[in-house]
Amino acid sequence: MGVVCVYFYPVPEGKSGQQVVDGIQKQIELLGAVKTGNFCVDCETFQAGSGIQNTPQRQVNILHSSEQPASCFAILDTGTCLVADALFDGLMQKLKHYYQQRKGSKIESKGQRYEYGDFIFKVGSVSQASNFKGILVEIEYCPCVVAGDCMNLMKEMSQSLLGSAVAEQQSSFLKTKTDMIYTPADTMSQYLEHFNNFKKATSVNQAMNR
Amino acid sequence: MANQTPNQIEQLHKALKLTQRLRSNVTQVFQKLSDGFEDVEKKDKYLLNDLHKTLSSVNTDLSDLEAGSSTLGPLTAASNSTNSTLICVDPIIDKTSTYTQLIHTYKWTDKMKEQASYASNLLKENQFKRTPIQSGTFTKRLRRSQPACCYPQSNVDVLLNSLIHQYRDTMHISVVRPLGSSAVVMIVLGKTLKALLVLRGMVIEWVKVKGYTEDFHGEDGKVDIWSSSRYQVFQKITQHVTAATLHYYAPEMPDIAIKSLIIWLQSYSTLFSTPCQKCGQFLQNGLPPTWRDLRTKKAYHERCKLMEK
Repeated sequence: MGVVCVYFYPVPEGKSGQQVVDGIQKQIELLGAVKTGNFCVDCETFQAGSGIQNTPQRQVNILHSSEQPASCFAILDTGTCLVADALFDGLMQKLKHYYQQRKGSKIESKGQRYEYGDFIFKVGSVSQASNFKGILVEIEYCPCVVAGDCMNLMKEMSQSLLGSAVAEQQSSFLKTKTDMIYTPADTMSQYLEHFNNFKKATSVNQAMNR
Repeated sequence: MANQTPNQIEQLHKALKLTQRLRSNVTQVFQKLSDGFEDVEKKDKYLLNDLHKTLSSVNTDLSDLEAGSSTLGPLTAASNSTNSTLICVDPIIDKTSTYTQLIHTYKWTDKMKEQASYASNLLKENQFKRTPIQSGTFTKRLRRSQPACCYPQSNVDVLLNSLIHQYRDTMHISVVRPLGSSAVVMIVLGKTLKALLVLRGMVIEWVKVKGYTEDFHGEDGKVDIWSSSRYQVFQKITQHVTAATLHYYAPEMPDIAIKSLIIWLQSYSTLFSTPCQKCGQFLQNGLPPTWRDLRTKKAYHERCKLMEK
């Protein structure tokens, strides 16, 4: 497990999401990367129900990743992350009196996985309730464990693949974790950040359409 | 043989002739005995006489030869010179080619020595020396007080302890001895890499570099010095560090060799954060600059290093 950067790749007007994904995949294959299967990251949101009065509404996001198939990541709005066995899903079902699943909240990023030397690329198209939302590209550099060390190296790689405009984005989350050892939970936090952005964008769009 | 006086040579000839005659007489006797005798009853007297006559001539020849050989004395020339001359004296020389081969070998050795001295004169111009043996002096060879591979364990421990103390801020060094005296030194460099050195005495025999998340212990808990890193970066660095151990190898000062390798290894702490000093890029073929210059410790890609020189 190395350091991961998740980038949001904007879909230009007049192009479909699939076209853009194909373009990125072609770019990655041109670099010499090899296809190594599919991947999937999904996120479900649970909301603290009306069981207890006088408490602010709290959310807990449950994320799964095909890269860590035996684990389940539970992240609170505050950023606190709990990494548990996949059985944690069953526990959440037991708690449904308190935590209720928000309907239609399941959002996932799915796509191809590539390997190139010590790098892993994942090109995922994000969909919520079978609606296409956007594209997330994940770049992982496996030998390094400290994000701060390989930030410039990652930037160079993303620049050559995705263009400098995309490479400029840096997760606010990663900025705070430059010296610590990177964990899979950090990847999940990045995904959650992007998923929340997608959801926000949708609600803004809906608001504007009204 | 050439040192013999003419008189002696004459006597030698005489003795040789006597020997020949003795041999032919003895052969005659045996010939007659082996042929057997026919009609022994009639001619027994004649035959006995004949046998007696030949035997007595053998006897006189033998005494003549003994008298002659006493005046000759030992072959002084042969005893004074080297063993090779003895081979020359040996009459079997005609059958084997040992002596001629020996002469060839001597000639060849002389030629080689001559050419080696030319070569050493040329090499003298290169000032970089690993050994203090003066070139060109084949006879005067300095003897090492102690070969680097045979340093006692206590000396190695003293060196390693000083290194552990000296570099405790930047790297974590630990020593295990899974199989007796050979020390296995494990180095954890920051949060970048782990390196393993196997020492024989004070000579670095084996190097492996792995990632920070990888381990040098096998599933059974024993030290595993053979398996390579799963990452290409560290496989490449293993090659480079092996090359560096050969560069820093100094049999006369083995402790310096280990110290300088460790100082050089420290430059890898910026493996992922330093761009190549030649091309200014971080990545080349998906690898960061894996080479560190042996003197300046600057970072280069493997290919950029070749272009630099």
